[in-house]
Amino acid sequence: MASLLEWTLVLVGQALITVGVFCDLVASISMLRFPNFYTRLHAATVGSIGGAFVPIVGVALVAAGSEFLGVYRWFLSGASLVIAFVELLLAGAGSHALARATHRSRAAPVQPVIVDQLEEDRGKGEV
Amino acid sequence: MLRDIIFVTLLIIIALALSYLTYLGGLGDLPPQDIRLIARSYLNLTYNQGVNWLWAASPEAVTAIVWDYRGLDTLFETVVFYGAILAALTVFRGVSKLPDRIVSVGLSVVVKRTMAIVTLAILTVAASTALHGHLTPGGGFQGGAIASVAPLLLIVVFGKQLFVEKKVSYNKLLTLRNASLGLLSLSTVALLIYGLATNEIGYIFQNQAKALSTLSYPSHMLDVPLGGTLFFLNVFEFLAVTSGFTLVFTLLLSSEEVILKEFEGEEYGY
Repeated sequence: MASLLEWTLVLVGQALITVGVFCDLVASISMLRFPNFYTRLHAATVGSIGGAFVPIVGVALVAAGSEFLGVYRWFLSGASLVIAFVELLLAGAGSHALARATHRSRAAPVQPVIVDQLEEDRGKGEV
Repeated sequence: MLRDIIFVTLLIIIALALSYLTYLGGLGDLPPQDIRLIARSYLNLTYNQGVNWLWAASPEAVTAIVWDYRGLDTLFETVVFYGAILAALTVFRGVSKLPDRIVSVGLSVVVKRTMAIVTLAILTVAASTALHGHLTPGGGFQGGAIASVAPLLLIVVFGKQLFVEKKVSYNKLLTLRNASLGLLSLSTVALLIYGLATNEIGYIFQNQAKALSTLSYPSHMLDVPLGGTLFFLNVFEFLAVTSGFTLVFTLLLSSEEVILKEFEGEEYGY
């Protein structure tokens, strides 16, 4: 019989997976509906952090709470956490590289913009 | 709208046709429910210590088939891969001798630091795939293919002069590739040569001791199954594939003016 802690792990994990499904849906709709490059980049990152990092952490919790998997639940859980960590690193770095390259090559208009300090620095010749 | 209707109709027709054919057995015989004779002997013998003149000493039957039972086949595949890389290097032989004129600072510091962490992760996964090839699914080629992603990403993120600064030259990579292929070939005939030298019976691609030959690669190392030749062949294949892919990537990622020298004169048709 599963203990209270295991039930909690499984339920929290399933909640995180549900959040992931919601984020994926929001990301795919906003990818189509958002008006320009930088806002769509935001949608893509919602998809890769909210829609991939969060549910993988949820999978780790579900695996850790699944007593019937025996000792293998720790392998599943650990592997999921490592994958989640790498995903967290790569999603941020990828969006950063895309945004920076686009800004430097002026491939897309910088919109919506309130303040563009990168552009100001480049005007002074600092970047 | 008409396109969508045609597309869906075609999909339905294909699905129905395939299911009708499968129902008739038109795609060939359905897979048999029982295990065939050859598969049964693989399963019975691969890690059967009781019949240790026929075993491969590897708990992973696929690697045992690939590098032991069907070892010659895999050796020829390796030769084909060697030839393909050799052809690529020959076409771009001029590029390899020219110093590259790209001076790039690479991507931003955020991407560089992330890449440094991820490179470690990639190489760890590659090494575990190759070194555990005789225990878990994977092997030398798979490990090498994973590992060669790391240099490709490093060139893109840090710029090509990273390899120049770290003194990873074309010649060193070529030497590593040739040495590992040489050692790979040597480990397939090592027991035959040893047998000839000591006047005992040895075979090509011999792994464990056979009924007529007492020569054998070690079956265990520190009470972990080693799989005899399988471990060595996986390691050398891993090194050969990694260095081969890295060579091709470094050549193909040369600057445009260097690589276009290879195509000089094509606008005149010669």
